[in-house]
Amino acid sequence: MDSVFDELYQKYHHDVFQFLFYMVRNREQAEDLVQEVYIRVFKSYNRFEGKSSEKTWLFSIARNVAIDYFRKQKGWKERILEKFDWSSNQVKDDHPIPEEMAVQREEIKWVYKCLEYCTVDQKAVVILRFIHDLSIVETAEALGWTESKVKTTQHRSLKVLKKHMETFYRREEGNIEKVRVER
Amino acid sequence: MRKSEWSDEELVELLKQMPKIKDYRHPRDIYQNLSRKKRKTVSWILPGIAAAAALFLFFILAPKFMDTNHYSINNAKQESTKEAKIAKDNSDASGMANQESQADKYSTLKKAEGQNDYAGKTAVYDDEIKGGVVLTYWVPDNQAQNLVPVSTIVKNTEGKDWLTLYNEHMANLNESEWGLSEFYPLQATLHYDNANETVIVDVPSDHPYRQGTATEQIFLGALKNDISSNSSVKTIKFTTNGEPGIELSNDFYEKLTITDVKKHAYLFYYPNGSDVPFLVPTLESYKDIKAAIDAMKSGIEEYQLQRSLLPNLAIQDVSANDNTLTITFAKDASLEDERLAVWSMEAILLTAKEFGFEKVVVSNPPAANIGPFDLTKEIKVPAAPNLRTIEK
Repeated sequence: MDSVFDELYQKYHHDVFQFLFYMVRNREQAEDLVQEVYIRVFKSYNRFEGKSSEKTWLFSIARNVAIDYFRKQKGWKERILEKFDWSSNQVKDDHPIPEEMAVQREEIKWVYKCLEYCTVDQKAVVILRFIHDLSIVETAEALGWTESKVKTTQHRSLKVLKKHMETFYRREEGNIEKVRVER
Repeated sequence: MRKSEWSDEELVELLKQMPKIKDYRHPRDIYQNLSRKKRKTVSWILPGIAAAAALFLFFILAPKFMDTNHYSINNAKQESTKEAKIAKDNSDASGMANQESQADKYSTLKKAEGQNDYAGKTAVYDDEIKGGVVLTYWVPDNQAQNLVPVSTIVKNTEGKDWLTLYNEHMANLNESEWGLSEFYPLQATLHYDNANETVIVDVPSDHPYRQGTATEQIFLGALKNDISSNSSVKTIKFTTNGEPGIELSNDFYEKLTITDVKKHAYLFYYPNGSDVPFLVPTLESYKDIKAAIDAMKSGIEEYQLQRSLLPNLAIQDVSANDNTLTITFAKDASLEDERLAVWSMEAILLTAKEFGFEKVVVSNPPAANIGPFDLTKEIKVPAAPNLRTIEK
């Protein structure tokens, strides 16, 4: 096996995979996209200048791959070709709750669902900052933003999450109350 | 921790508790998939090629469906004439007008039947030629089953040879008017190579005769028959655009030798909508005139050929003497339908000619004459079958 691949795999594979998973919220897609990340990495590995850390570099590639995926997903071409591509023409739930989530506490599930309401940028910031525990500087490097942009995006995304967490909460509360009344 | 409001810290805490997601695949599989993945990105190529091929086929096939399929067009025509007939039969009340038009039709048919001085005759006789040249063209019928010989007399030949006349006149044939398939003019130029006594047939590279076995057979059959009926040439050479050889649907031909197979029996072929038959030789040849006469007593249904010897004008015996054929009719032979009897007589004469006879004698004539034929004298065989006039 390629030694470069081996090294990257050992060090970062699961991080990159997890990032992509939370971005696209689908295991199969994440598996496909992580391949794409490797392809791009191999293409430009020689050009890696070491200005940033390898990890943030990989995250920045993964983010671009995810953005390209979202862009493609909307295209008409993709939709038509899907009809021809019988291998993937299976009935699919677009956003199933993954196994790992299903076994978690209610609040964690809510957070996962609420992430859907964030924009791609907001999602990326939340995932890198909190799930991957990157610092603001690292996040800024990975996204190619200024630190202040990371901060404001982080602030906004937390606001979105909060808002939707509350609606989930209220819905839940309503259900409990209903049950009480019926009794 | 269930509550209606979350602080930023609590939310961050929750996010940090999000489960770690792992890729369960083996790194080797991932590595191997990398190369496969690259190929997958061009998945549009296959449907693309399929679409291009379909379009290509469509453009190739569409024009063929549109024009050259003249058989089906002729079939459609037949259908419509049939319908017209039914319509006529049904409208008895207003029958008079219809009958008139029908009569008109017959009279035009009779005219077309050959502006023959001898009423009822269909063939060409020596005394009609009067210095003209007889050209015989073999035309496929509507179903492309039989080749029907159609002859015409060309006057004012100005000393041109048969092939020049043949080329000049083939555009003037009215096949569809006669109830046959449009076939002439041939998509080919014919010229005569004097030195080798060969007819050279040159076709353009987009010639239509390679479409199917039937077309090929008709084309070759018509050429052979045309040349053997009009000349004594024994060899045909083919060229395509000047290059030697011709590609037909089954074979590639450079040369064709005409073997004079005669000894056919003549039967009646009625084109749709006509009550005047063409006299058409069978495909099969017979060992002697007796066998051929026997064959004339029954039609060949699959070729839509009808018997040319009538049950009430049966032939009891034939005997040959040099170039004269003597026929003996059955005792109870009678002339019920004189028109039919004339054609039947012509079928006998043409069949006799196939076997090399020049004259036919009737030993026991049931009447003094059948139509124009004087049965008390010997009758000369015709020069060519199925006289039709063609207008320039």
